[in-house]
Amino acid sequence: MRGAWLVFKKEFLELSKDRKTLFFTFAMPLILFPLLFTMMSKLGRNDAAQRKNKPSRIFLVDQGRVLEPALRADPKSFQLVPRPETELNQAIRDQKLEMALEIEETAAAKLVRQETFTLTATYDRSDDSSKLALERLRDLIKKQDVAWVQARLQTLGAPPQLAVPSRLESRNASSMALFIAKIMGSFLPYILIIMMYAGSMQHGIYTTAGEKERGTLLSLLSTRMPRNQIIWGKLLYIFAIGLLATLMNLLSMAVSMAHLFSTEAASAGTKAAQAAMESGGIGNLSAVASPATLGLSFLLMIPLGLFFSNFILLGGIQAKNTVEAGTALTPGIFVVVVLGVFSMAPGLEKMTLLPYVPIVNVSLAIRKLFSQQASAVEYLIALGMTVGLAGAMTWLSTRILNRESAIFKV
Amino acid sequence: MIQLVEVHKGFTVKDKKTRKKKRIEAVRGISLTVKPGEIYGLLGPNGAGKSTTLRMIAGLMHPEQGRIEVCGAGTATEPEKARGAVGYLSTDLNVYNRFTPREFLRIFGEFQGVDPAVAERRGLHLLEKLELSDFVDVKMEGFSSGQRQKVSIARALLHDPRVIVFDEPTTGLDVLTAKTVLDLLSLMRTEGRTVIVSTHVLPMVERICDRVGIIFDGILHGDAPPREILQRWNVPALDEVFFALAAKGGA
Repeated sequence: MRGAWLVFKKEFLELSKDRKTLFFTFAMPLILFPLLFTMMSKLGRNDAAQRKNKPSRIFLVDQGRVLEPALRADPKSFQLVPRPETELNQAIRDQKLEMALEIEETAAAKLVRQETFTLTATYDRSDDSSKLALERLRDLIKKQDVAWVQARLQTLGAPPQLAVPSRLESRNASSMALFIAKIMGSFLPYILIIMMYAGSMQHGIYTTAGEKERGTLLSLLSTRMPRNQIIWGKLLYIFAIGLLATLMNLLSMAVSMAHLFSTEAASAGTKAAQAAMESGGIGNLSAVASPATLGLSFLLMIPLGLFFSNFILLGGIQAKNTVEAGTALTPGIFVVVVLGVFSMAPGLEKMTLLPYVPIVNVSLAIRKLFSQQASAVEYLIALGMTVGLAGAMTWLSTRILNRESAIFKV
Repeated sequence: MIQLVEVHKGFTVKDKKTRKKKRIEAVRGISLTVKPGEIYGLLGPNGAGKSTTLRMIAGLMHPEQGRIEVCGAGTATEPEKARGAVGYLSTDLNVYNRFTPREFLRIFGEFQGVDPAVAERRGLHLLEKLELSDFVDVKMEGFSSGQRQKVSIARALLHDPRVIVFDEPTTGLDVLTAKTVLDLLSLMRTEGRTVIVSTHVLPMVERICDRVGIIFDGILHGDAPPREILQRWNVPALDEVFFALAAKGGA
């Protein structure tokens, strides 16, 4: 294996001379994800804060003044505006107001007669501010309804509990950690699979079709090193680059997400967040994404990475030049993306044949590992199949690349 | 020593116009022996089969029929041993642009099983001979084709090979460096190495080659000292042999 190691070393030496590629492969993800996540979080927070701090502008038609006092009593949430000059629906769509509320003329009388009256709210479902206005109105009516019902019960001499026959209390059997782990388990395989392939593709092309194009592959083949060791060295390099790129991206994402989560929790200060913190929910995440889970997931990624590396190696060496290799290997990204997206689909774990579908079964196994539903048999099937596939591909690429037709394309 | 016995090699190409596959016999039953301490010149027009023959000797291609032995090792039976005995140079072979000549020679020394320090020392010595010492620590990105050729020559001779296979070694070199390369080849002969060179430059052949073989349409004609070939064909210069062969249609 000395030859393979030497080729591997040469490839990394060559890469180390190219600062730009080094930066974009390893340093860029470390900068990109924190920047992206911070930006997204800030933008989201600013938008939400702006909406929350602004009262909803409502054009109210309430001749009986049934709801007007309650709306005016909450100026933080509601601002009553005069009828707009344009048509009502158009004015809402133009964001000149958030909602138009019409209360039926006989509402006051119906209220006295203990009958039901109707309120008609017109809003724009595609606009977040307009939806917030409806939400605020619902909360207000809910409170107002309770007050009205209590008043009616009092008039009838009935106890207030009459309006509340039952009360639902829910208890979470799971934990915040498991919830996060399930989310992680659904998108992690997608990220891993895509990054493994996309992260190593260009490097693979450079070291195969690129070497051929530059005329350096023949220099390498003219040495005493056995051909299969040259192939293995290149394979190892493509695999290592894919793995390193994936790990860098994951590390950066994990740090960014952890930072984002803690900032959100601290700034929100909600009861739920506090409860999660107090119950050690987030702290327990380490139990769900334990070293065993991470290690077993990583173990699955090794043969999968080797499988992809072989695919890239084959495509690269068989091509006459880098353009041809790029054209041949780019559709692979789409296949990988489709497989990745498929693996994120909900309810996937219930499909009985899926553990026998290569590549997808790796996603499934990782997903189950994170959601603590892993089955040893399914895991071993996924591992065995992927190892077998990677082995077969390595055998095939070694065999094909030993043919001189792969080197000298006529 | 190099020994070729009834070597055949062909390629299948696709005719773009007729869309039919066409078989090209690049080498047709070539047999030749080059002994240690001898420089063998392989001549022929473009596409005659010279480079294919040399690639087969270097172990980059395999004969379809016949056998090739380099220092007693069959290129088919002991490919690594045979390749290890050869120092191969061709204009098809390039250098790693991102490396300096020093780094390039070190890593190739390791590829050839030579200690990196020894490889570096040998490489620097060769580069000094080829007048490239001032550029040993400069990235090869900006090198001219001649400078790259010099580094490639050093790369080919780095592991002290017993057999030298040079395909068009003076291509891209100025007259002075071309002379240095020819002197280097003569030195190799006096050191008892087996040398085979292909070229278009006929004065070079007459100057340094002990024996000459002319390939035309994949068939070897001649295989004798240059003077003997001239006498045999009754012509004053080797290029006349070319013209005569072309007139005969290579027969």
